[in-house]
Amino acid sequence: MGVFIAVVASRKLIFRIGGVGFLLELADVVEVVDQITEDLDPSRSIIGQGIVSALEFRQTWIPAIDPTLKLDIFSAIKLKDKVAVVLHSSEGNWALLVDQVEDLSAAENFQPCEVPFLLKVAAMGFYSQIKLLQNEPMIVFEPERYYGSAAALV
Amino acid sequence: MRRLGLFQCGELSFAISLLQIQKILQGSRSYRLPRLPGAVSAVLVDNDQLVPVLDLGQILGEAGQLDLKANGYQILVESEYGTVALPADLTGRIVAEQRGVLSTTTVKQKCLGVIGKFVYQNEEYNILDIDFLAIEMTQGFWQNQPDTGGARRHQ
Repeated sequence: MGVFIAVVASRKLIFRIGGVGFLLELADVVEVVDQITEDLDPSRSIIGQGIVSALEFRQTWIPAIDPTLKLDIFSAIKLKDKVAVVLHSSEGNWALLVDQVEDLSAAENFQPCEVPFLLKVAAMGFYSQIKLLQNEPMIVFEPERYYGSAAALV
Repeated sequence: MRRLGLFQCGELSFAISLLQIQKILQGSRSYRLPRLPGAVSAVLVDNDQLVPVLDLGQILGEAGQLDLKANGYQILVESEYGTVALPADLTGRIVAEQRGVLSTTTVKQKCLGVIGKFVYQNEEYNILDIDFLAIEMTQGFWQNQPDTGGARRHQ
């Protein structure tokens, strides 16, 4: 069962992975699915591409990607207990697996914040923008870094 | 007359030139971000800017032992490459250089990022080379081995 989320321009979806906060353009989101246990097929994984399972979504199997592999984040949440944020891309829908979807927030609630010069090298290839929400750094999630033909290039 | 800030972080006693200290925060919340270099324990937010918190334990080869003191001080220090934060216990003092004894470190006793010693009231403080530590500890090639870092930095 999924929770339909209408696409609202200028709103951001906030989610967490291993305690780290991320924000995502709501326009990229098709649906948030919070009960995925019965819809997973981990035998259809391609770990080298970050795909840890296939997820049945609207009668179609789509790739489910766990960004902890690329971001090197420790998450105590098991695969079956993750929340799937289904995103659309030019290559079709795919599922981003996160620990928790926290909130929707208006774009104006976020303060711009630069990645400091000293951390630019470390962040390169993983994220390029950070915004502050109530003084907490939130990473701007860039889906193209995780799925699609462009992901191999970034 | 040069003044030094003297601090303690676990087993590490350290000194910084007062001119490099921007401010001292207490109990400031820090955040872990993905892919931080191994010698950066977290970041904190000051004036809408992210500041890397250096893991000073690595100077003594005790990675992760001295970082993220929730109720300690975070000393914001200006380096040539940007501001960094150093964790410290809730002790600290500022003294004039001539109130203690300065010495340079020999090769044998040298730790990376330490440019000398300052002895004050029988306590020995490591004088930190902030520019060196800022670039070495944030660029992912920090090793607590003498004679490995500076050469790379100047390549």
